[in-house]
Amino acid sequence: MVNVFAVPVFFICFRECLETSIIVSVLLAFLKQTLGPEKDAAISKKLVRQVWSGVILGVFLCVCIGAGIIGAFYQLDKNVFESAENIWEGVFCLVAVIIITLMGAALLRVNKLQDRWRTKITATIEAKDFSSLPLKGRLKAWSEKYAMFLLPFITILREGLEAVIFIGGVGLGMPASSFPLPVICGLTAGCLVGYLIYKGGNRTSLQVFLVVSTCFLYLVSAGLFSRAVWFFEAHAWNKIAAGEAAEAGSGPGSYNIRKSVWHVNCCSPGSMGDGGWGLFNSLFGWQNSATYGSVISYNIYWLFIILGFGLMGYKERTEHWPFRRPLPSVRETETDSTEEQKIGEEKKQESAVYANLREMNE
Amino acid sequence: MAIYIPNLFFILLLLSLFSSANAGTVTYDFDISWLHANPDGAAVRPVMGINGQWPIPPITATKGDRVIVNVKNSLGNETTSLHFHGLYMNGSSHMDGPVGVTQCAIVPGSSFVYNFTVDQPGTYWYHSHNRGQYPDGIRGPLIVHDSNSPHKGLYDEEIVLTFSDWYHDLMNGLINSFLSLSNPGGAEPVPKSALMNDTQNLTVSIQPGKTYLFRMINMGAFTAQYVWFEDHTMQIVEVDGVYTEPMEASMIYMTAAQRYSVLVRAKNDSNANFAIVGSMDQDLFDQIPERLNPNVTGWLVYDDKKEKRAPKLVDAFEPFDDFNLVPYDKGEIFDHVDHSITLDLKMDTLDDGANYAFFNDVTYVSPKVPTLYTVLSTGPNATDPAIYGSNTNQIILEPNEVVEIILNNNDPGKHPFHLHGHNFQLVSRSADEAGPYVENGEAKPAIPMKRDTVLVRPNGNLVLRFRADNPGVWLFHCHIEWHVISGLIATFVESPLLIQSQFSKNLHNLPQSHIQACVSSNTPMRGNAAGNTLDYADLKGENRSPGPLPSGFTARGIVALVFSCMAAAVGCAAIGWYGMGDLKG
Repeated sequence: MVNVFAVPVFFICFRECLETSIIVSVLLAFLKQTLGPEKDAAISKKLVRQVWSGVILGVFLCVCIGAGIIGAFYQLDKNVFESAENIWEGVFCLVAVIIITLMGAALLRVNKLQDRWRTKITATIEAKDFSSLPLKGRLKAWSEKYAMFLLPFITILREGLEAVIFIGGVGLGMPASSFPLPVICGLTAGCLVGYLIYKGGNRTSLQVFLVVSTCFLYLVSAGLFSRAVWFFEAHAWNKIAAGEAAEAGSGPGSYNIRKSVWHVNCCSPGSMGDGGWGLFNSLFGWQNSATYGSVISYNIYWLFIILGFGLMGYKERTEHWPFRRPLPSVRETETDSTEEQKIGEEKKQESAVYANLREMNE
Repeated sequence: MAIYIPNLFFILLLLSLFSSANAGTVTYDFDISWLHANPDGAAVRPVMGINGQWPIPPITATKGDRVIVNVKNSLGNETTSLHFHGLYMNGSSHMDGPVGVTQCAIVPGSSFVYNFTVDQPGTYWYHSHNRGQYPDGIRGPLIVHDSNSPHKGLYDEEIVLTFSDWYHDLMNGLINSFLSLSNPGGAEPVPKSALMNDTQNLTVSIQPGKTYLFRMINMGAFTAQYVWFEDHTMQIVEVDGVYTEPMEASMIYMTAAQRYSVLVRAKNDSNANFAIVGSMDQDLFDQIPERLNPNVTGWLVYDDKKEKRAPKLVDAFEPFDDFNLVPYDKGEIFDHVDHSITLDLKMDTLDDGANYAFFNDVTYVSPKVPTLYTVLSTGPNATDPAIYGSNTNQIILEPNEVVEIILNNNDPGKHPFHLHGHNFQLVSRSADEAGPYVENGEAKPAIPMKRDTVLVRPNGNLVLRFRADNPGVWLFHCHIEWHVISGLIATFVESPLLIQSQFSKNLHNLPQSHIQACVSSNTPMRGNAAGNTLDYADLKGENRSPGPLPSGFTARGIVALVFSCMAAAVGCAAIGWYGMGDLKG
């Protein structure tokens, strides 16, 4: 099971794809807003096609590059890692934990994601206030003409490569065969959710879905953190037991009894045929031989997550960090004025872009 | 004391009856001390020598002789003892030698007297029987000549050939790393080399046309050796002190502690010299070190000027199967068994993380009071097995009953089993991987082979029979010294009430040096295994093995798992709380 479905890879694909969907939806919504079909059906159709071809080409290139990088990685001499396999496994787990922990929370703030992309794209379009571009002649004319292609293409390429690097980081310790399936599933799920967001479906059930996904994401991450510590300990034990540990399978001798919290002579995630336990391991960090280190690190990780989300939630609801007094009157006026400013700027941008698009069309 | 004198008389009377006319007394004064030696030319190391010599001198006697060995322990840092391997010690069980069984350890600076008669001819050996000590060098041949040997006319000369594995480190250090957390699989230390007569490249001068009796002894700690004489055949005439019908063999397999006497007829010319090869059985090794030379070579030297060629390679090891031997006395099988004992062997890890060996789930731990002294100090209670402790694998044998040992080797290793105080009939021995013994009416040999050390095959079984006609406390154990350390020992308490009567029911009839050894080593001499002299059923404070490994989920495991699940649940709740906060905003 674990050999064909790497759970962290699934979540990363899901999240990055969701982000891509949001970019696309922001762009499409933007086009709809600025030149709806009632205004100029032909132009609109052309531009929408540009957006989609940019998206498709971007995704395609990402997949190619990603497959290339990961493929190249697996072509590397495996012996580099085998000499201290447990150390590497532990490091890979830690890398995955850091990536997942940092990006996971954003999944819960789709609104913010949308906002962020809306601002970003608008800013980019505005920057292409083409006179300022250092391009000249035909290239400049070409990039002006295909702005709606280049925008999603470049953005997706950038975000997608980020995903590839993340997947590479998370999946370093996993067999190559565990990639394709979760990548496909993650992409499908991401597209589906992105579409639902675009269509503006039931926000509550969508949010419930995202919460559940995020919970899984952090369960995986906590398990990975625990496994990282476990791998380091296993490495130390293997050094003590001088290779005897590997020989012992999951029986006595495979673990250091002085550090053992529990040990059952079965259900080892590593052994073939115990497939279910392998899934259990990658989802929740299950070990048939738990150590003080692995159990304590698991709990500490959750403590960190609880505190983190608690603080973020507190900040969002009260507009200030705990134990810091807010400055109510000054703050309110500040935000008011900035918001007004923003709205004003957006309007300006929109008109500028609209003008540009009209120009382009002519 | 008054009772003792007539008893002594009686013994003397018996002695004079059994001894032949020329029976005498052989006395050895052995001062055991540390020396340095380098028998394999690879490392100088401390060895335990005797009277400033190493290799240590052989003990030789003639059948019927009284042997007196005055031992002085000058090691300074280790206790010791001597065991005379294969001697029945009939009527003198207290001279057998294992520490914690028939005597207290001889502490540094003190002396001890072994005094016994040998009424059995053949090839034996003697070695320390004190916590894995003999591989440090204190092991040597013990030869009992016999003017009435049935094979006497068949050879011109006899030559003793010892074989041994050899370590470069002291046993104490090796034992500590063997029996430790860092060796959970119980991998036995692999020897550094093999020795022949405690050296390598031994030369044995041979005269053409003569016949030689080679008395071969494996004095190794661990390793069995394949032995052959290049281009010569052997005729086996004795194993472990038991004369056999001569049988031809081109290669024999000699486990640790086994002995073979073989006749080798020299060639009629001296055109070439021939290799004698001992080759360690590498199946026993957990990992074979890259640079290990498993072989030791010597030469039958017909002509000193001729080349001593390296031995030819052999295609396969196809040794003689000792099951096929026929004892010279044609002793028939004990076909009526009075007392059948099944011993299931296994290896397992205990909760100190080290690997132990078990008979019927019990690993041997030396009791506080040497078992023989428990016999002698507990009166009629001595027939109650419980008083001998929880970790001695004790079995009480009744006088003269026929005992059968069914040994099931539930371990993938080969084990040479040795019984003190007896030899036994080898009634059945399975092939590798045969599993536990099942009585299926298969024909047993009418005249079974007898010896005192026998190989059981990996995951196989064997059946031994003997008559309990020798009162005493006798160990039955694997003669791989590592497995002695890890507890692969059972204790036969044979006819305890008869042992008591040998000492007129009084512990103080033990020789003075026996009593002194216990005083010097602060070892209690009375009471049950725990040294309790009031309530023999109370074993509180006895020596125990570490407990079993905790299996599965213990209390702390459950607490840890519940805590982790709760942490995860609360964490998910926090994510949910934060996540759903997005809708309100």
